[in-house]
Amino acid sequence: MAGSRRSITSYEVRLAFPLALFFVVFFLTPLVILFILSLRSDPQGTSHGVGQYVQFLGDAFSLGVLGSTLWLGVKVTVLALVLGYPVAWLHVRSPGWAKGVIMLIVLLPLLTSVVVRTFAWIVILGRQGIVNTMLIDLGLIDTPLRLLYTETGVVVALAQVQMPLMVLPLITALSRIDPNLADASSMLGAGHWRTFRKVLLPLSLPGILAGCLLTYAAAITAFITQSLVGGGQMLFMPSYIYQQASALQNWPFAAAISIIFLVAVLAVVSIFNVLGRLSRGYAHG
Amino acid sequence: MQLNRRHLLQTALTLGAMHAFPGITWAQARPLVFATFTGSWEEAHKAVLVPAFRKATSNADIVLDPMLSVDQISKINAAKSNPPIDVMLHDPGPALQAIAQGLVEPYPVERSAHFKDLIPAAQEATGPSPFFQTVGLTYNPDTVTTPPTSWADLWKPEFKNRVGITNLNSTLGTGFLVEIAKMHGGSESNIEPGFKALDQLKPNLSAVAANPGQLATLFQQGQIDISPGNFNAIQILKARGVPVEWVAPKEGAIAFKTTIHIVRNSPNQELAFKLIEAALSPEVQAQLMEEPYLIVPTNTKVRMGGEIAKALAKDHADMLSKFVFQDWAKINEQRSAWIERFNREIRI
Repeated sequence: MAGSRRSITSYEVRLAFPLALFFVVFFLTPLVILFILSLRSDPQGTSHGVGQYVQFLGDAFSLGVLGSTLWLGVKVTVLALVLGYPVAWLHVRSPGWAKGVIMLIVLLPLLTSVVVRTFAWIVILGRQGIVNTMLIDLGLIDTPLRLLYTETGVVVALAQVQMPLMVLPLITALSRIDPNLADASSMLGAGHWRTFRKVLLPLSLPGILAGCLLTYAAAITAFITQSLVGGGQMLFMPSYIYQQASALQNWPFAAAISIIFLVAVLAVVSIFNVLGRLSRGYAHG
Repeated sequence: MQLNRRHLLQTALTLGAMHAFPGITWAQARPLVFATFTGSWEEAHKAVLVPAFRKATSNADIVLDPMLSVDQISKINAAKSNPPIDVMLHDPGPALQAIAQGLVEPYPVERSAHFKDLIPAAQEATGPSPFFQTVGLTYNPDTVTTPPTSWADLWKPEFKNRVGITNLNSTLGTGFLVEIAKMHGGSESNIEPGFKALDQLKPNLSAVAANPGQLATLFQQGQIDISPGNFNAIQILKARGVPVEWVAPKEGAIAFKTTIHIVRNSPNQELAFKLIEAALSPEVQAQLMEEPYLIVPTNTKVRMGGEIAKALAKDHADMLSKFVFQDWAKINEQRSAWIERFNREIRI
């Protein structure tokens, strides 16, 4: 019997078959169909070629939409990180009961639909919204500011809507750090800032990267928040795809935009991955 | 299995369908699927049209599957030989697309009891128009004390940062652009003056909504005080206590025909015909004209009354003189170019 015993850490590849099959049928196949569709030269499919890609990549406006979408993701991610890091830190350093409260506050947005969260932002940012009313009552402004349907509005709303995706990985990473390390650092004469920069930040880097990756991917593809808070004149990739596919029934071009968007996002993701690998070296080396 | 009238009817219809379309004999007999629009349309159809249809067909099964026009077209295109929808509802632009793509069965006009009673503009052999949508000016009476009378009022300096429009993805947005082009000497085939006018509207624009539904939210939030708006959408807002009023501008309210079509290759052709007949009937149209639906009837046997007679037109002759119809065949030719141009030029 000893011969048939296997190491308990190796597992059967065959166990992954159901998942693999699921992926092939529901993810890979549609993707291939999408790609084939994008090679049509016109919606009727009379001839094939890379015309749709040439059209997108040779058009400054379309490239601008792609650029502004990727850049929007960067802004949202940075804001979510700046606001989310202290929350995660607070959670890790709080006593038990406070941990529960903070976790509840972090998770609460996930329990409601993204549409509801986004509508709340319409109420907050509107002309008679909380922000404008407060500024007018304080006498800081005379006429309401235009906050809704601006890019700043979209960035702020997205950062809040996607915040749990940033905070949860950060909490995981931060709670793995031995609290004694910070004490040891200050014993050795490092100030708070130095301890943060030299000890906590490097050790939490995997969490930061995971959080950034999730927030980034969610922010650039957030069709609902982008269109509700951004309005109809601010065009990002998801609404560009929707417009071409739905309003114009130009499926080949919409498919080509989708593929280009996918490739661009994959590029960003692989940059994150490279950074992740480097960060491991940084933390342990 | 118990035999009752319903089962017998279903069996008979299935056999009939199988006989008529041998290609679909493997298809399961299913209830009639009517793709109406979401929101107030669905409510109105569920409350009035469906009961009338059930009565006319001894309780045939029907399912409402509300979705946007473009989604209807996509879904049917994805399964042309065995479409998941039997009856489509369309705005003028998508209707022409659906017809051009061969998704529509011609309406059996000669068998129809009500077709000849429709106003001429509604008599489309590809699918008649049981309802109209009308677009005029919507405003907040609390902040706009002098009611607007013309599209041109949107450009008044007093409405700086108060005006809302939608982009061209919607019928409303496109129809509005065509109308202001016409106001400045353009037409469906010459949109240039429209874009010029939109450019001059920029200082007044507070919001370019992604769809007409967003305009409602913006009125509620006080983000905008005046906008082009759909008569029916505004009645619903008003009923919920939002301070909004609707007027037809003196240039005429824009009227969009909402057409209803039998889907080609539908396994339920006869039931689809019966549903459309019910939608054209004066009984259903008269009921839909009442509060809270206020849907403009196209059957000339329906006498206009209530809010519609007050705000829109007192009879069908009056309606034809007050409404402006647009040439959507021409609009469709260039719509994608307009949308592209709108994407590039309208940034506020």
